[in-house]
Amino acid sequence: MNGKQERRPAAAPSFDMRPGGRGNPHSRASVQKPKNMKKTVARLLRYIGSSRYILIALLVIMLVVTAAELVGPLLQGNAIDAIEPVYRNAETGEILYNYDKNHPVFEDIAVKTTFEVHFWRTDYMGRDGETAGLYTYLIAMAAVFLVCSVLHYFQGIIAAKLSQRTVFVMRNDLFRKISRLPISYTDNHKHGDLMSRMTNDVENVSNAISQSITSLFSAALTLVGAFAMMLILSPLMTLVAMVTVPLSIFISTKLGKFMRRYFVRQQRLLGGLNGTVEEMVTSYKTVVAYGKEEAAVSQFSEISEGLRDCAVSARVWGSVMGPVMNFIGNLQYVLVAATGGAMILFGGPGSISIGNIQSMLSYSKRFTRPINQIANQYSAILTALAGAERIFEVMDQADEIDEGTLEIAPGDIKGNIEFEDIFFHYVEGEPVLKGFDLSVKAGQKIAIVGATGSGKTTVVNLLTRFYEVVGGRITVDGIDIRDMPKSTLRRAIAIVLQDTVLFHDTIRANIMYGRPDATEEEMIAAARHAKANSFIERLPEGYDTLLDEAGSNLSEGQRQLQAIARAVLADPKILILDEATSSVDTRTEMHIQQAMVALMKNRTSLIIAHRLSTIRDADVIVVVKNGVIAEAGDHDTLLAKKGEYAKLYQNQFAGIAT
Amino acid sequence: MKKLFRYLKPYRFFAIISPLLMMGEVLADLCLPYLMSFIVNYGIIGEELAGNRVASFLVGIFYPNGGYSNLNLIILFGVLMLVVTLIGGFFGTLCAYTAARASQSFGHDLRRDAYRRVMSLSIEQTDRFTTGSLVTRMTNDIAMIVEFIEMILRMFVRAPMFFIGGSIFLLMLNVEFGVVLLVSLPVMLLTLIFVLARAVPLFGTVQKRLDRVNCVVQENVGGARVVKASVREEYENERFAVANGELRSINYRVLRLMAIMNPVLIFVQNFAVIAIIYIGGNSVAEGLGGMSTGNIMAAVSYVTQVIMSIMMVTMMFQSVSRALASAKRVREVLDTDPVIADGNGDMQVGGDIAVSFRGVSFRYPDTAGAPVLHDIDLDIRRGETLAIVGATGSGKSSLVQLIARFYDPTVGEVLIDGTPAQQYKLHDLRKKIGYVLQKSELFSGSVADNIRWGNPGATNAEIKAAASAAQADAFISSFSDGYESPVAEKGASLSGGQKQRLSIARAIARKPEILILDDATSALDLSTEAKLRGALREVMQGTTVIMIAQRVASVRDADRIAVIEDGTIRHCAPHEELLQISATYRDIYASQMGKGGAAV
Repeated sequence: MNGKQERRPAAAPSFDMRPGGRGNPHSRASVQKPKNMKKTVARLLRYIGSSRYILIALLVIMLVVTAAELVGPLLQGNAIDAIEPVYRNAETGEILYNYDKNHPVFEDIAVKTTFEVHFWRTDYMGRDGETAGLYTYLIAMAAVFLVCSVLHYFQGIIAAKLSQRTVFVMRNDLFRKISRLPISYTDNHKHGDLMSRMTNDVENVSNAISQSITSLFSAALTLVGAFAMMLILSPLMTLVAMVTVPLSIFISTKLGKFMRRYFVRQQRLLGGLNGTVEEMVTSYKTVVAYGKEEAAVSQFSEISEGLRDCAVSARVWGSVMGPVMNFIGNLQYVLVAATGGAMILFGGPGSISIGNIQSMLSYSKRFTRPINQIANQYSAILTALAGAERIFEVMDQADEIDEGTLEIAPGDIKGNIEFEDIFFHYVEGEPVLKGFDLSVKAGQKIAIVGATGSGKTTVVNLLTRFYEVVGGRITVDGIDIRDMPKSTLRRAIAIVLQDTVLFHDTIRANIMYGRPDATEEEMIAAARHAKANSFIERLPEGYDTLLDEAGSNLSEGQRQLQAIARAVLADPKILILDEATSSVDTRTEMHIQQAMVALMKNRTSLIIAHRLSTIRDADVIVVVKNGVIAEAGDHDTLLAKKGEYAKLYQNQFAGIAT
Repeated sequence: MKKLFRYLKPYRFFAIISPLLMMGEVLADLCLPYLMSFIVNYGIIGEELAGNRVASFLVGIFYPNGGYSNLNLIILFGVLMLVVTLIGGFFGTLCAYTAARASQSFGHDLRRDAYRRVMSLSIEQTDRFTTGSLVTRMTNDIAMIVEFIEMILRMFVRAPMFFIGGSIFLLMLNVEFGVVLLVSLPVMLLTLIFVLARAVPLFGTVQKRLDRVNCVVQENVGGARVVKASVREEYENERFAVANGELRSINYRVLRLMAIMNPVLIFVQNFAVIAIIYIGGNSVAEGLGGMSTGNIMAAVSYVTQVIMSIMMVTMMFQSVSRALASAKRVREVLDTDPVIADGNGDMQVGGDIAVSFRGVSFRYPDTAGAPVLHDIDLDIRRGETLAIVGATGSGKSSLVQLIARFYDPTVGEVLIDGTPAQQYKLHDLRKKIGYVLQKSELFSGSVADNIRWGNPGATNAEIKAAASAAQADAFISSFSDGYESPVAEKGASLSGGQKQRLSIARAIARKPEILILDDATSALDLSTEAKLRGALREVMQGTTVIMIAQRVASVRDADRIAVIEDGTIRHCAPHEELLQISATYRDIYASQMGKGGAAV
């Protein structure tokens, strides 16, 4: 790979976007911004709303927990106040009531500070109206925090329940939706992208629900509660404490913006690194064959170096945030303490107590914490909302149209197919079929040939109603296929595709996929029919062999044989083979062919193939060109005609360019 | 892990200084509650300074002659607090820098070496690791280790220092406070052990069930046609709901276990505070020396710090186990010795035999049963076009892979230009070869970048010429950006035939001595393929061409056609002759051309 190589966006208008294009899943997003916040929030809330009782229980518990936690500092301050400093004449030990350092009365007296501890209710010297002692407050604290701990436990469990439940429901809904989407959706969207909606986005939403919502709620409660408590304790000190709030908001947002730049870049570099490794490792054979290992290493090394430098900067800026916030916090502490001290010194005893100052300090700390918390949650919530939006986007897609109601028992379908004046395009303005007509009688074997892109596969897509015709109609046994439920139509059809699809399951389950109620004997017979039995029986586990990652432990040919066995077992009225044997060598194909001939008996068969050898026995061969049928007839007739078919045939036989 | 620490060595200056700096930050943090207690004791309450040597020393510096008010003291200690905060912050930031410098440099070096190792492995070795796992090892696993190193450098000093320092300060205030630690620490530790011992084994299960959910989605998205055609949507919904439900239940179990931690922490922390006030209050009442309100408040701060440090340590232990697992996975890569290694570079190039197989047998490493290839003896002349045909799984691809040394033969040897392939430097060997795989592999970058890939020095004209010969020029030119059009998503936007032609252009641009086409034209229609063959004959004069193909039309013009059956070469002759001598070839011919094969 050479010099400048930026990754350009995948959507290149000049390339033909073919259906079936498959993407790669690792597109990592950093903080994303939702487009329509209000609407998404409302919908998300509706989702959570389905568990509203859990949510209400959670909020109630949090209300109680926050209130209890707010009472804590007050009790702690009061407890400390139960240790009362008492000023005595150093010589006589006599208590100096109303001691004030600056008062002339006390000027010549040496003062000694002692402490009087009021364990239970006792008369305080400095303050009147105290009704409780140290133990009273400690017991109250113990009670409050015991309750707090227990409630915290339930809060954790309920939050877990809420988030897991929401995620579960959301995933199920999303999956159901995906299974109802028309094929055109999966054809035109990167599979990796859909996957990441299912996993990452749902996960983000879940985190937001279990963490962000709860912490936002408790932050807001704490904010209001702490502010109220501070006001009650001392409006003046509250005012002083507030001085640093704008400062901390200002600095944290400024610094945050600065930090984010590095984190975004770091994320991007990380994505680039992943991309390079994945690309080179998946294409390793080519890399090796072209001796590009060193080039790959130096390219990788370059990105890795950039990542290293960026990561260092990101860490350093990230770690500045802590000390700066500490400094502001301590500044606030000193300001509050100084104000409190001044109030005690100049306001005379009784105006505010030491314990009150201690409580004030606690509350002011509690007041700043939620502000940081909200700032921290902000990006998580934005990401979650963007994720929710992506999920809803899928859910808002129109379902596959399935309005037919004409029930026909699959056994009653005979298999006459009629394409009447079909028009179709995938993309507006680029017609694929233009007035396509084809009549197939029950039991006939029709082969469709033509150049790549001539519309062969489209015919199959329309017959199975993976796509809907734009003009004209298709009938089966004279019934418009739009008039019958899709399930009825599709049960009558079995289809073997070019790209074999196998599931992570046993070979048996894979063969029985189209007909789960088949017996063991029928299953084995089908495998034998498709010539798949010999290799399956050679496997140590036989039909119980578990196929890993979509059958990657089998060769392409073996995979195709299984797909054919699946179709055999499904025993359909209509059989579609779409390049079904392209990965099987011609001689093996010939063997399968014999099975196919038997299979195709009494069925309507549509065969699409590159190799003319596959189709020469067809009753009718249809040559598709430019969206219409160029010619049709059996092999010999068409050859004699010396038209399109003859050209294709010559081409293969003689290898001469035409 | 130990072996990986070697990578930290070049950065040992940063690695050693970073914990030292952290000590500065921790000391500053530990001083703060102490200074706060001065504010309370001497500024607010107005105790005599004489009671505390540190406090009176500090005041003595700034007010050598006395004459300070209590408010002066508050402000003095307040400013000191801010100064200490700043110093702590300074050390903290420096520590973050040194730790990041050391760990990230470590990470880069490790990543580079691991990647270089991956790039030296044989095909079989990378296959055994699997692509996905190699990608995770290169990225996530190394990131995990880097994070861990950074955490060690910063936190492994921080937590114990907080623990020890906090405890010392606490005991200095009052020895009896030690009781609080003695009771609360075991409670916390036992809870943590209880929770983690149960939760950690569940993490693996969570991952497995998540994989299962992903697997079902993947199958349904990728196999939507089959699901729909088989009308199994309901079944798939069921299947997903089961997988999803299992994931939910295990997640819930983990979260429920974790939910124990928070309340216990709150409980222990607050009861420690209560105990401190209780003990402190009693000490004050007994008139024990130096005990006062400010001290109790400081003690409350210290006990909180100590308990938080325990929390920190346990969190670290959690990541130790994760980092160790990652380290093991990275080590596995580093410890894998490439089985295909450079030769000594001794070459006696000569003769007119380009490729020669001598008594070659081959079986894929670690497989049993019959060998894939056996008793292969074949000489391919320079400039010859040799075609290889045979059934699926007969060993065609395996045979040509031996030429490029993707694998080494189990028995026998392969000679390239008269020199055993194993004697070449790999780079020299592969420079001779242009290899086009069955499955085209393209890279992100422009079309031109992709063609130039095998020959970075190629001029634009050479690239265009190569594309023309590969029958790719026409479709490339139809793109609005022509040769500069991006190839996105490994060519997902290109058709199979277009991808194959680009791969062939890439091989041609390399101007190889030996061109290997491993079923590389299967997606081309016949007329395009024929044009391609014609162009190759013209452009690649003197080049040895070895091509695997399925279609008789593709091979019949070759100088010789090798028929492989059951892992060995049955016949090797021109088309006409093969029709006479090889029944298999006749079979293949007949299967494609019809019984008589007589049309034309």
